[in-house]
Amino acid sequence: MPQVPIERHALENGLRVILSRDPRAPVVAVNLWYDVGSKHEKAGKTGFAHLFEHMMFQGSSNVEKGQHFSLVQAAGGTCNASTWLDRTNYFETLPGHELELGLWLEADRMASLLPAMTQEKLDNQRDVVKNERRWSVDNQPYGDWDERIQELVYPDGHPYHHSTIGSMEDLSAASLTDVGDFFATWYAPNNAVLTIAGDFETDAALEMVRRHFGPIPPNAALPAPPDMRVDPRIGSNVRETKADQVPLARVYLAHRSPPFGTDAFDALDVSADILGSGRASRLYASLVREQRLAQDAGVFVFPIVGGASIFTLWVTARPGVTQETIETATLAEIDRLASDGPSDADLERVRNLHAAHAAGALERISERADRLSMYACLFDEPERINREVARYAAVDGARVSAALRDSVRADNRVTLTYVPAEGAS
Amino acid sequence: MIARPPGTAPRPYRFPDFVRHELPNGLGVWLVPLPERELVSVHLMTDAGAATEDEAQAGIAALTAQLLVTGTQRLDAAAFAETTERLGIEVGSESSWDSARAGFTALGSKLPDGLALLAEMIRSPRLDEREFERMKAERLNDILQARADPGRLADESFLREVYAADVPYGRLSAGTPESVGALEVAAAREFHASRYAPNVADIVIAGAIEPDTALAAVERHLGNWSGDGTGHRTFKPRQRGGRRVVLVDRPGSVQSELRVGHLGIDRHHPRYFAALVMAALLGGVFGSRLNLRLREELGYTYSARCSFDPRRAMGPFIASAAVQTEVTVDAIRELLGQLDRMRADAPGPKELAEVRDFLVGVFPLRFETTAGIATAIEPLAVYDLPDDHWHTYRSRLEAVTDDDVLVAARELVRPDEALILVTGDAGSLRDNLASAGLGPLEVVTPA
Repeated sequence: MPQVPIERHALENGLRVILSRDPRAPVVAVNLWYDVGSKHEKAGKTGFAHLFEHMMFQGSSNVEKGQHFSLVQAAGGTCNASTWLDRTNYFETLPGHELELGLWLEADRMASLLPAMTQEKLDNQRDVVKNERRWSVDNQPYGDWDERIQELVYPDGHPYHHSTIGSMEDLSAASLTDVGDFFATWYAPNNAVLTIAGDFETDAALEMVRRHFGPIPPNAALPAPPDMRVDPRIGSNVRETKADQVPLARVYLAHRSPPFGTDAFDALDVSADILGSGRASRLYASLVREQRLAQDAGVFVFPIVGGASIFTLWVTARPGVTQETIETATLAEIDRLASDGPSDADLERVRNLHAAHAAGALERISERADRLSMYACLFDEPERINREVARYAAVDGARVSAALRDSVRADNRVTLTYVPAEGAS
Repeated sequence: MIARPPGTAPRPYRFPDFVRHELPNGLGVWLVPLPERELVSVHLMTDAGAATEDEAQAGIAALTAQLLVTGTQRLDAAAFAETTERLGIEVGSESSWDSARAGFTALGSKLPDGLALLAEMIRSPRLDEREFERMKAERLNDILQARADPGRLADESFLREVYAADVPYGRLSAGTPESVGALEVAAAREFHASRYAPNVADIVIAGAIEPDTALAAVERHLGNWSGDGTGHRTFKPRQRGGRRVVLVDRPGSVQSELRVGHLGIDRHHPRYFAALVMAALLGGVFGSRLNLRLREELGYTYSARCSFDPRRAMGPFIASAAVQTEVTVDAIRELLGQLDRMRADAPGPKELAEVRDFLVGVFPLRFETTAGIATAIEPLAVYDLPDDHWHTYRSRLEAVTDDDVLVAARELVRPDEALILVTGDAGSLRDNLASAGLGPLEVVTPA
């Protein structure tokens, strides 16, 4: 595997800067991770980190509403942002000669968002975000699965207990004062990582970074990280069944699990792929192809770092197959893998698929930049990008069995089932 | 206000050069060597899309394509999945209206093994009955799932309502419950035998290859592939009815999925490039007119957009948005207003320049990956576009004037003929839509 080049720098105001030069194509990625996500939200303010992300596109001192997108697009670039439990990221991909445009746009909103804020803009983006929630959650079959799982896996009051999209009531209550407070607290250079990847000249890029970001003052009073501590296990099998407008029943089995960055997480990552990735995976081979109980199936573990992550399996039943049947069949596959361990063929399969996926992801400089920011922001260790494949390949059969036995067990489970409502086709 | 910093001089970029061969059996071979790449992408396209199937067997093209990955004469479904995935290769196989495509992306070192398995799959698939019945059941279940999903329900309903009854594009390219329910494995075997053949197929290999070696590998595995494919049928799409409103009832919906449009363009339309610029300006980028008005000014939706879907024959032109139920009628009026405005005046120079510069400037980004480059070659083969298509692409976009955009809008955007399709809660919407004066209303209850 070729190594991703990494140069680490830091400004006096605390901004961490990662450079990864690759001049093969004339394109450059600018990527900022702010160490703030929905886990930092206070009670009654759910959804605010994400709503705030929308406000970051509503203009700043030298950029008008809508101009962020139009300047990037006119330059032949793309841009966007996203919010999740641990973080908020902002990114542009641009022709290499327009690097400074991306840096200037990001610096302008980090330095001076608030002078451009108005009630009208907040009201508009609140409506947009409510429609985003309706579109992605409320009007979708099985749409609230992750919201329900988070609420059931983490205790009330835990920072991961609520979803990133937040509740309609809390979105309604968000005020301009909240925008100002959130910005002053979290959007500071010492709470961010800036990565530049692709086609640039190192000295020129660093000079631009210093010029645009250097004058932005740090927040000397960054709050302490939220208390993420949580028992390693749920303690029971928490069951919830929902009648929904869905034609096929679906079962989610979610488990509290070790967080991203740990060896046990890697073992669960490998377990997830053995069970759920590809047509030779255990669940597909057994439940979909051989027994024909399931329409589809999947397994994943959230890459989140606080206290505990979530290891989730989901299986959609064929018509006429009960949720009890697919649940039993799924548990049998988990038990078989935990007790017998994976075969050499299982491990060879998922390792080679993982290596190919990693190479595919890192072909795109935007993804390379995002992963560098992620590892720098979450672990202060961007070099992890070059160890992903080796960490994954180091997981052996004993670690797979041990991780499954520790986490994927009946006394550590949320069983969330959707069944067709009366009259649903 | 401080002005945005100026860029430096752009570095030139050229779409990668490729070499093209035709084997004696008619197979087209497109090789795109990309030194410094770690990966290779292989795409094999066959003229075996839904446009080649008989109406009575609607869905057989899609089912046959999906069935290919369930094994070969030599390897059953489990063994084929194991063998490919242990190489780190996930073979995909799917079909559209205009072609069937199978392929994979893998580390360059896996090309010889991967190509051998792909050729084996295309030439001697297992096509066994048990797997056929599974794929068929999964397709029927997917149709059920689509009806529960408001966006898919709207997409599918729009196509059914916008095309005249006898136009194939009005149904799903993957078939209807009735047509799929009646299919048998013999039909898939017959379809494979008569449609998958080298004279109607092309293979693209892009990435970490040495062209002579790659060509030799293709010759070894596909050079003695024989057969004579029948290719696609042609038809001329017509629209069903004129301006009208169709409300597809989805009780309890908190949003209405809007699909507004009519027939669009085919892939060889003389105004293709003007249409591309026009659609981007109207609804193809974040700062497009539809998105700025419906999202950034009114907050009616998370996203409003429009696009053409050019195929061998006229695909649809559709403007779409998911809006909260209460503003459905207002949102339709606003959307139609933007279509009218597009036809009324040419775009301003700044607006046009921004969109054109985006489409031209974003060009290198589209081809960052080997899969992106292989995908870019596909339309050259499927639609017989000139070999220099991508080399002249940017200059042809740059040549589009404000007047070209206006002429394209007046010809290709026709709100007076538009089908206005709404998927949402009929109980809340019926009366408002009936009295809105948008056109005659028909309420449909999905089966």
